Order: sequence, then structure tokens, then C-alpha cells
Amino acid sequence: MSQSTPIARPPRNMRNEFELLRNVTVGQYIPTGSVVHRLDPRAKIIAVLILIFTVVFTKSLIALALLTLLFLGIVLLAKLPVRYVLRGVTLALPVLAFISLMRVIFPNTGDDGGKVYFSWLWMSVTRASMHLLVMGMIKILAFIFLTSVLTMTATTTEMTHGIELLLKPLEVIKVPAHEIALTNMIALRFVPTLAEELERILKAQASRGGDVAVRKSQWNPFKAARAILPMVVPLFINALRRAEDLVLAMESRCYMGGKGRTKFVQFTARPIDYVVPVLALLVFIVVVATPWPSIHTFVPFLGL
Amino acid sequence: MNTIIRLQDVHHTYQAENSNGVKALQGVTLDIYAGEYVVILGHNGSGKSTLAKHLNGLLVPTQGDVWVGDGSGGVMWNTKDKARLRDIRSSVGMVFQIPDNQLVATIVEEDVAFGPENLGVSHDEIVRRVDWSLEHVNMSAFRHRAPHLLSGGQKQRVCIAGTLAMQPRVLVLDEATAMLDPLGRKEVLAVARRMNQEEGVTVVAITHHMEEAIEADRVVVMAEGRVQLQGTPREVFSQSGRLRELQMNTPQVTQLAHALHERHANIAPNLLTVDEFVAEMAKNAPPRPTSQSPALNPSSPISDPVIQVQHLGHYYMVDTPLQVKALHDINFEVRKGEIVGVIGHTGSGKSTAIQHLNGLLRPHEGDVIVLGHDLSREDINMKQLRQRVGLVFQNPEAQLFEHYVGDDIAYGPRNLGLGREEVRERVRQAMEAVGLGFEEFKDRMTFSLSGGQMRRVALAGVLALQPEVLVLDEPTSGLDPFNRSQLLGRILALRERGVTLVIISHNMDELAQVCDRLCVIADGRTVMQGTPREVFARADALRALGLDIPQVTDAMQRLGAGTVLTVAEAATLF
Repeated sequence: MSQSTPIARPPRNMRNEFELLRNVTVGQYIPTGSVVHRLDPRAKIIAVLILIFTVVFTKSLIALALLTLLFLGIVLLAKLPVRYVLRGVTLALPVLAFISLMRVIFPNTGDDGGKVYFSWLWMSVTRASMHLLVMGMIKILAFIFLTSVLTMTATTTEMTHGIELLLKPLEVIKVPAHEIALTNMIALRFVPTLAEELERILKAQASRGGDVAVRKSQWNPFKAARAILPMVVPLFINALRRAEDLVLAMESRCYMGGKGRTKFVQFTARPIDYVVPVLALLVFIVVVATPWPSIHTFVPFLGL
Repeated sequence: MNTIIRLQDVHHTYQAENSNGVKALQGVTLDIYAGEYVVILGHNGSGKSTLAKHLNGLLVPTQGDVWVGDGSGGVMWNTKDKARLRDIRSSVGMVFQIPDNQLVATIVEEDVAFGPENLGVSHDEIVRRVDWSLEHVNMSAFRHRAPHLLSGGQKQRVCIAGTLAMQPRVLVLDEATAMLDPLGRKEVLAVARRMNQEEGVTVVAITHHMEEAIEADRVVVMAEGRVQLQGTPREVFSQSGRLRELQMNTPQVTQLAHALHERHANIAPNLLTVDEFVAEMAKNAPPRPTSQSPALNPSSPISDPVIQVQHLGHYYMVDTPLQVKALHDINFEVRKGEIVGVIGHTGSGKSTAIQHLNGLLRPHEGDVIVLGHDLSREDINMKQLRQRVGLVFQNPEAQLFEHYVGDDIAYGPRNLGLGREEVRERVRQAMEAVGLGFEEFKDRMTFSLSGGQMRRVALAGVLALQPEVLVLDEPTSGLDPFNRSQLLGRILALRERGVTLVIISHNMDELAQVCDRLCVIADGRTVMQGTPREVFARADALRALGLDIPQVTDAMQRLGAGTVLTVAEAATLF
């Protein structure tokens, strides 16, 4: 083979249209070995649940701002790359923009809106609606933040076991804790397998001249549905076939439901694992019980 | 020897909605003895997998009985006895064909623990068994890994560990090596053999790879739902005519010994391994008439290159923490009308490399030029390129989606925007090229076909594009010897019609027979190139890469007879 001379080229497009798992950041475990990572998953799940409730019940913008700072502190404590966590937030931006638009188009006419910033036909932006909008945004961002911290510091396996153990007492009232956990585990187990499979199918159909993405011109829903059949049908057929195989394999390994099963994975809680949920509870009480001054008291000074 | 599994006149009929059902087993009577290593051979559809599923009560006979014991000669349980299923299944462990579909947990050690957990074993004992099992399959180092990050052979070893953790007396491998590359297959077989010899576990291995039968205590050959032939490997493989009738073949060395025996009666015909063959030849071989090395293949006239790959590099997961470089420096060239084989073990980057040939992947470094299309350029006509370069993936039947065979094959031509008549004509030609009659098969239901037929439909789906270059990834994997040689014949016939072929395969025997040139890839680099004779002459270098050479090539090299590629060629040397 002849020696190739390097030719100056424009920078190459490194994009790969078939790589499916690249942009999903929510739910990816990032091992940094921090204190947060080493917590018992049960403690983490409870604490995060309490903090989510705290966010839900907060009516004060000031408290919300303080909470957000607290969450940022947790991210730093967990040694997570802040930019990476925020990338998950950017995924939610279109939804947030949509919500904002809805607020403007359909203003809540019932209450006293306060100062009006903008008004046209029936649409208006008032101080009250801005307040609600900002609150809503921060709450959504806080949810994404909290769930990212949970899934980035606990492996899916730890989460599954944590949920199973937490639900265990509820088996008395017929909550199928084991079944929920096992289903969850199997679903997680097959996500990468099916993603790989889909990638292979997309490539194979593309090789036969198929369009991977539904063409923009296809506004006709029947045609559009028809165009994705070559990708979806094989995926489903193969998933069903895998499910059949899995049933045989599980039966061969004596799976006969949750009754009489023992557990390989066991967690032993350390003192810190009790302290963390209690701290979260304290945050909840402080936030909900404190008579936070209204943001409106500051607004005149800010000239709004 | 005590019987551990007894099958008495076992029949099994799969119920079908509107017919009399499919008779998969028609009277199998067979005893498996404690401590035995039994290999069950049979072509696709011979009933061997149905038989396997009877051994631990996953299926129960529609007529006849299966009894499972503990090998002590004492009580045996009937698999129809539901109350005993737990005992039966914990004493007969089973590993299936596709490793991915058997793993339940997201962490290796937790998957291994699944069986003992189901049996209600105490926590400490589970921990002990998980350690023990992973140790025995050499997977202890991977215990905290996620299964999807392992190779096929490693996954299958985890599946075996999951079975061993239940401390079974019998290990059934239901085509457990069919989807693995040669390295993975060797790993799995080594584990099975070790468990058999050191721990006294009875092994029943179902397969259509003849080589796996050689070291068995007993070989059972199935066809039409019945046991057709059984005995020691030597007894069974000596009946090569009968085996051919049953759509099975014999190891290359055995074929060669038979051929030589016909001309030189003092050479024993029943030789199974290369070692045996070399020893026998050293003793009884007639002097070779000439010591010349075999005639070279008539070198084909040098034609124009249709594919040029130079210093190709490729990254996966660019701009993420998981970014890896899959290809470093791939170089090869394919000329018009050639058949080029690409060799490399799983993970070497060969699949990544060939996905550049029709633009599924773009080169990140270096150059790929295919039929005049420069793949580094943004503005190439992708549709035209993909029509001219057909790519057939591994197990392409998994990508079929239409209800009727004809429609599935028409998908490609329709995407090209051809007229009705033209599409019909192309479908007809493509079907005929793969040996499926147009009138007979076009309106058949795609998913009612056999595995071998579905493979051919998938191939026809790409041929209908009438590509000038056809790239095939493992075209014959998972097929039995008969279907394999049939399909290979069809593919070779395409060359007569002027199609240039690039074939990825683990089957060195096939590549040695058909390729003009070979390209060996390891760790994302081209490490060897040349004619099959040149490449296989470097047997040691190939072995160092974890690759094999054909049995007959190995045998002839050890006899100092140069590099020989086929049995027929070797037979002419003596």
C-alpha cells in the first residue's frame, strides 16, 4: 500500500447518529468514592424523599433559594462535576420554556395579580404570575438536582435493594416488594442490551436504504408510523424472545416467586446512616415552620 | 455406573393452533450416567434442544417419562411430579444459547447468587457458594462488574457460575457455545471439562460443533426427534457416510485420514485429533512423492481497487467521560471481484472497521474510499453508497420486520424509489440467488420460517439492492454444518455475478477455502495481511492473538508439508 501523505482537511464531524446512550446524564452512576456515595442507599432514598417534600411545601422564594444552595453543597460534598449535573438540567429547558409560555397565554385571572408588567389582549404578565413562574422553575430544577444526586451516587443495584428493603414492611398490606424490586432490576439489566439491539437494527435498516429518523416532510401520521415499523417491530419481537428465554433461565434456577427466598445483598446501617435522614427531617421542619418574610417586602427596594 | 437421568420413550409434540402440532421428539430412550461427559449432536431442528429442556422439567413429555436422580442409585423423581421440581432443577443445572438472556442481575456476583437465593440458602452459605463458583469459572476478578460490559465468553461463564452455585450434579449446556467466538468457546468448554473431571459433575453438552464432541465420553446423534447413532467419539465419527445423511460432518483430520486410508490401507481411518494424526503419519505414512510445497492458487489478475482503507481511526462516545478509541490504524484494500476475509477476535474492532464501508460510521482519522466515494467528506451521496455497498449484519434474521417474506425483501428496493415491476423483479432475482423459490416463498409468513431460511431472506433483502460490494459479518454463525455449506455456496456464487465480497468470520476452515486475501485485525490495528497461505503460514503469530488456524493446516505444518488450506489439497500430497 502506498504511503499516504497527510492532507490538510477541515475538522471532522465526530458525531455518530447511531450512538443512543450518549446524551443521557440523568441516572448515570459517577464513582467518586465520596461520603455521600458511601451512605446506605436506604438513608439516601429517605433523605431525598424528605427533601423533595420540603421543596414541594415551600411557599417562600427565600427558603427555596437557600435550599438550592444546600443542594449545591451536597453536590460538592459528593464530588460530582457540577457541569455534568447541570447538563441534565438543560434537558428540561424546553419543558420549562413551554410552562412559562403557558403561564403568559393563560394567566390566572382569579387572583389579584399585583403590578402588571405586560398585557396584550387577554394575556398578561403580573407580579404574582412572575412569582409563581420563578417558584415553579426553581422547584423543577431542584427536583432534577436531587434525583441526579441520588442516581449519580447510588448504583442502580443499590437503589433497587434499597427500595426493596424499604418496601419490605409493607408486604403485610400486600405490597409486592420483592416483585417490584426484581422487575426493576431486570428492566435496568436489559436497558443496555436493548439499546445495543436498537442501534444494530437502525444500522441494518439504514444499510437497506431506510431512513433512521422519520423525515421532516412526513406529516402524514400513517406514513410516519409506517416508517418506524422497520425499527420497532424487530425490537419488540426480539424483546419478547429474550423475555421467553429469561423465563426459562429463571425457572431453571428454581425461581418460584419471592416466598422462601434469602438475600445475598445485606446492608448494615452505621450511625451516620441514621443521622442523615434525621438532618433532612430537621431541614423540612425548619423550612416549613419558619415564617419566612415574603419576597414582596423586598420588591419595592429592587424597583420591581 | 449409576443412572442419573433416564429418558423412557419420550415423545414431545408442540401444540399448534390449526394443525396437528409439531412432533419434536418421537420416542427417545436414553440413560445419562453419573460422572459422564455426553455430547448430543444434531442439525438445526433435529429435536436436540427440545430434548435438553426435558432434562430439568422445563418441558414434560407428552408421552413417556423422564426420571432424574442424584446418581447414588437410589430414588429417582419423575419430572412430571411438580412437588419435586425444585429438587430436580437444583440437581440439573442448565445454561442456554444466548448469555445475555439468562442474566438477571445488574452485578455479576448478584447474578450468581440468584439461584441459591431462590433455594433459600442462608446468607453465609450463599456468599461461600458465590466465591466458590466464580473461582471455578475464573471470573472472580469480575465479580463487581455489570454483565453488559463483559465479552460473550465471560458472560456465559457467569451463567455457568450461576448454575454451579446451586451445586448441581448435572450441568446441561444447551448450545451454550453457539453464539461465542472461538476464544469464548474454548473458555466455556474448559470450564465444563474441569467441572466434569475435578468435581465429578455430569455434563450434557448439546451442540453442532463436531470438535466439541471429540473429548466426550459418549456422543449421541439426533435427527427427526430420535437418537440415530451413539457411541464413543471414535465409533461415531468412523461412520462418516451415516453422519452426512444426518446432515453432520466430521472433523477435518478425520476426513483427511479417511481419504488417505482409501489409497494407503495402512493409515488408520479413525483419527480424531491433530496429535493422533501426526503420530499416525510419522509411523505409517508413505514417503511423499515430492517435497514441493503445494501449488499456489492461480493468482487472479490485478484489478482496480474498489475499497481503500488507510490509517483509519475511530472513537466511540466522543465528548463524554466514556470516550474510547476503538480503531487506531486500520489498513486494507479490496480489489474488484475479490473475496477478502477479515479475521480478529471479538472486540478487536473488525465490526467497527467494516461499518465504515457503507458510511454507517465516518472515519475520524485516516481515509476510507469506497467505489470512489470519499467517506471523510460531508457531502457524499449516502443513499447511493449504501445501495452500491450492501452490508449484512451478524444474525440478520433479527432485523426482519414484515409479515410476508416478499415485502421484507422489497424494503430496500422500495426505499430506492423503484417502480412496482422493478421491485418485483429485483425481489425475484434476490430470492433465487439465495435459493428460495419466488412463487413458493414470497407470500410465506416471515416468522414461520426456520432459522436457516430466515437467514437467507435477510441476505436476499440486501441482495435486492443489487450491490456491487457485499460485506458480510459472520454470515454462517449459528448454522449447522449442512446449512452452513449451503449458504456459503450461495454467497460464493455471487462472485460469478461480479460482486466483490468482504467476509468477517471466525470460521478459519471456510476462510481458508474461499478467500483471495485475508486481513487480520487486533486491538484496532491491521496486524497481518496477505493470501490465506501467507497468513496461515504464521500459525504462531495467529495463536498469540488468540486465533486459530484450520485443523488440516495445523496438521500439515507439523508434518513439515508446508501451508495447506483444504482437506482435498492435503490428500493430494501423499
